[in-house]
Amino acid sequence: MVSLPSGRDQWIRVRIMILVIVMMAGAAAVAHGAWQLGVTRAQELTNLAAEQYTRRIKISAHRGMITDRHGEELAVEIEVKSVYADPRKVTNPQIVAAALALLLGVDAMKMESRLGSDRHFVWLKRRVSPQIAQAVEKLGFPGVSLVDESKRFYPNRSLGSHIIGFAGLDSNGLEGVELRFDGVLQGNAEAATGLSDARGRMVFSDGAFGSDGIVGRSVELTIDRTLQYIVEQELLNAIRVFEAKAGHIIMMDPSTGEILALANYPTYNPNRINKSTAENRRNRAVLDVFEPGSTFKIFTLAAALNAGKLRPDQKTFCERGRMEIFDVVIHDDHRDGWLNPTECLKRSSNICFAKIAQGLSRKRLYHYIRRFGFGERTHIQLPFEMRGTLNHHKKWYDIDTATTSFGQGIGVTGIQMATALSAIANGGKLMKPLIVRRIIGQSGETERSFAPQVRRRVISRYTARMVADMMTAVTEEGGTGTQAALNGYLVAGKTGTAQKSEGSKGYAKDRWIASFFGFVPSDRPRLAISIVIDEPLINHYGGTVAAPVFKRIADQSLRYLGVSPRFSGKSRASAKKKNVRAAKMERSKRQDPANGLRDDEMGPSSVFADMLELGPGQVRTPHLLGMSMIDAMEILSSEGLRPLFMGTGIAAEQIPQSDEPIDKGEFVQVNFMPLPELGTLSEEDADTGADSQGVP
Amino acid sequence: MNDTATTSEEPGHIDRPLFVAVMLLVAFGIVMVYSASVVMATHQMDNSTYFLGRQVVYAVIGIVIMMMVSRIDYHIFQNSAVIWTILGISFAGLLLCHTPLGATINGASRWLRMGPITVQPAEAVKVSLILWLSYSLAKKSSRIKSFSIGFLPHLLVPGVLMFACMLQPDFGTTVVIALLTFSLLFIAGAKMGYIMLAGIVAAPIAYLLATGSEYRFKRLLTFLDPLATRYGDGYQLTQSLFGFGSGGLTGVGIGDGLQKFLFLPEAHNDFISSIIAEELGVIGIWMTMLLCAVVIGRGILIGFRARDEFGSFIASGLSILLGVQVLANMGVAMGLLPTKGLNLPFVSFGGSALVFSLAAIGVLLSISRGGRVPQLKEMSQRNWSSKGNVRKANRAGSEGVA
Repeated sequence: MVSLPSGRDQWIRVRIMILVIVMMAGAAAVAHGAWQLGVTRAQELTNLAAEQYTRRIKISAHRGMITDRHGEELAVEIEVKSVYADPRKVTNPQIVAAALALLLGVDAMKMESRLGSDRHFVWLKRRVSPQIAQAVEKLGFPGVSLVDESKRFYPNRSLGSHIIGFAGLDSNGLEGVELRFDGVLQGNAEAATGLSDARGRMVFSDGAFGSDGIVGRSVELTIDRTLQYIVEQELLNAIRVFEAKAGHIIMMDPSTGEILALANYPTYNPNRINKSTAENRRNRAVLDVFEPGSTFKIFTLAAALNAGKLRPDQKTFCERGRMEIFDVVIHDDHRDGWLNPTECLKRSSNICFAKIAQGLSRKRLYHYIRRFGFGERTHIQLPFEMRGTLNHHKKWYDIDTATTSFGQGIGVTGIQMATALSAIANGGKLMKPLIVRRIIGQSGETERSFAPQVRRRVISRYTARMVADMMTAVTEEGGTGTQAALNGYLVAGKTGTAQKSEGSKGYAKDRWIASFFGFVPSDRPRLAISIVIDEPLINHYGGTVAAPVFKRIADQSLRYLGVSPRFSGKSRASAKKKNVRAAKMERSKRQDPANGLRDDEMGPSSVFADMLELGPGQVRTPHLLGMSMIDAMEILSSEGLRPLFMGTGIAAEQIPQSDEPIDKGEFVQVNFMPLPELGTLSEEDADTGADSQGVP
Repeated sequence: MNDTATTSEEPGHIDRPLFVAVMLLVAFGIVMVYSASVVMATHQMDNSTYFLGRQVVYAVIGIVIMMMVSRIDYHIFQNSAVIWTILGISFAGLLLCHTPLGATINGASRWLRMGPITVQPAEAVKVSLILWLSYSLAKKSSRIKSFSIGFLPHLLVPGVLMFACMLQPDFGTTVVIALLTFSLLFIAGAKMGYIMLAGIVAAPIAYLLATGSEYRFKRLLTFLDPLATRYGDGYQLTQSLFGFGSGGLTGVGIGDGLQKFLFLPEAHNDFISSIIAEELGVIGIWMTMLLCAVVIGRGILIGFRARDEFGSFIASGLSILLGVQVLANMGVAMGLLPTKGLNLPFVSFGGSALVFSLAAIGVLLSISRGGRVPQLKEMSQRNWSSKGNVRKANRAGSEGVA
């Protein structure tokens, strides 16, 4: 501009400067806007953003596995397709909606309103079968796409369902361990965000941002799948034989507090949540509060012995079966005279225990009951645990000391009972019950392990030993629990037969809870088992209903665990008694064909059987499945085993499993299925296939 | 910088701060394009460096063109045949977009297919219009105050271009052209009364255009409250705001942003400033603005120092174009302005934008060299020396025909 007259030249510069100032003002506004968003509103926006990342992650992240203590998979992820749409790219919503509604089985109106929304992303149908996914792909409507999603799958179906729980559509845990360990199983969403995009797809298969966190950690349970199976089968048997309404069994390792099995009836298949009722999904062992009845006497006894208020040889007068205290009459089934503590327990005398409790004082009784963990949560790693009901002793009526001593007027949960029972079994230590052993990182390393935890010492080791000995008498000749006795192992236990309380109306006449609580071998306990059968119709005595269940579970479990018997079965008089009830139970083992097949699928017992040493006089159980009755009979007799045959047709199930060690002369139970029933078996199998659709 | 002698053919040194700032912006742009596009590239192209590779190629082509243009005496554009040809080609390009040669993406016909590449004529139109306006305004400088000669033609020609842009439709470019036209008319000294009158006439038209189309009206509403429609129309803007919010003051670190994981559409293009904000924070945005300010400031300074009105108009026009683009791009990403498809010069992905922006810088550099005007040699030497910005006369005008 140097060539121009300076006046105009200067004015041009001034005008340029004016525009520059305007731009600088704009720049200031923009710079301020950046500050506003990045600093002033940062928190609000970050939260909103985090929300969307987490939402996306939840549908994309790979949920961790749940395994049993040996790494057997109990809950896994499988890949399936889901159909979604970007409604803005859908060219002809009416036609697309009509076509897809038909294909996906969704209401056409609903489909149309979804496709008509102004969002960028709507689900049309989550988790469709591969065939439908293929069909959608073939239709190729613009704006309609498929995305890989993972779906929770429970390969063992109902096995352990109450422990495992289940996860919802968005891979969020809704029950059981799935719920309690949801955060662990889901993985670290923050770390995972970098790996999935707005459509929830993985952008980098691995490595790019460090793959930690995208896959949730696995949870290893203390449950042993085989033991769980045994327990569930036996619970089911008992429920069927005695036509009971419900029931639950807990098997615990008393020395560690680890729960090896926990079964409930009724049960459900977590793969098909929508077909189950809340009643079936209820984890009764942890949620149901019941009156323990006579089984509670072991804790009264332990308290009195430990407090020194009862000598092990001190006799108590049984009042010939009828005693009146505080205007209430207490009855016993037997008209006994003087009984020592062992006999009190063996004969389950309410009167003796009322007297023992009086001698102990209500304050001490209450103190010990609390020490055993009643009236408080055990802090088992499962959701919604109940506390039970235990009034403070200052609120007790005089009669309450007596009734509490034999388990009335107090509410407990199965897990409380199992934990308290374990305290007697393990020498007086109250353990924290464990259901989860370890949390395992993605590369298989232990991220956290849950070591056995002693909550407190309840009674002395000496007292515990004494009580265990007295409990052992219960399963011996003349006791109430003889049907729990085992060949080769000493069983400590206590039966319970409690009328169900109906609140203010007193006790129901015809509704009972039959229970058995025991541990085995009683001198060196490996298993503590609590068995509660709710409202059995056929019989209601704990010794008849629950004790045989204990025997059968303990028998199979100890063999599975390889616990060697201490003495020959013949030395025990009570063990010889083969009773009719047991036979009836065996007969009931005839279950639906699917279970029969699964027994075979499960197989770990036979795997483990290989590792079991053959004891003296033992043979390996021959493989009988698929054989005719005559063939099976021949093979069994050649091995020196006795047949216990059920049903007709070909062998579909055998107990013990093949290759498991078995004493010569013992029974081998074989269930036979007629061939037409095998037809239903394949149908059931196809059903399972539909469950697991999408498994490669 | 003057003592380091180059060949005696050189007309003068290029403006080194401008050159350095532009190169820094281009390099920064390549990094940010890669960071912003890596997910999308992997996802759609199965090649994580798809956009990176292209941007590098564009940058190389653009820099070569820039260096070439910087060696051309800018007075070549003062030739009426040349300038009309350039303007005509750009205009023809706009119209050709509607022919089978054009490509329509998302309902907008803004692209021309030329063999393997697609060109966005609007980018050329912006630069060529500045050249034409500068040529015309400089030519008519003495009669600038008149309506029929100084004012009206400079509304008609841009008006035709704006109309062509609206046909595409490209509302953003239309607005930029309007702003450029008014700015240059103002700088050249057109009567304020005329400018205001034109503004008064243009405002209702703009309003009708903005509200007339449902899609543009929606955009306008969206801009007023993006979070209210964050799953619908406000989605993109909401995502952009998330980027600013997540970045905070210093950002999450380059490459570590999450918004580019297909959350933010056009992350590598019109909304790259959101990615900058997320990964480098408010500071990153400010530093980007500072670099742009250096470029614009040097451009304005070149305009001040240009040896004639023509050069002055071009330099200030191009600087204002850059400034408007930067502010509009960032303003849109922050929700301060209604959503428009405007890229961030030198930084956003896009061949046409990058090449034409760099070519425009080439013109600026050429102006900074002073051009080949032999008869002005002595004068320029005297003037520049007095400002302490010495250009040696023997270098200033001895170049042959470019």
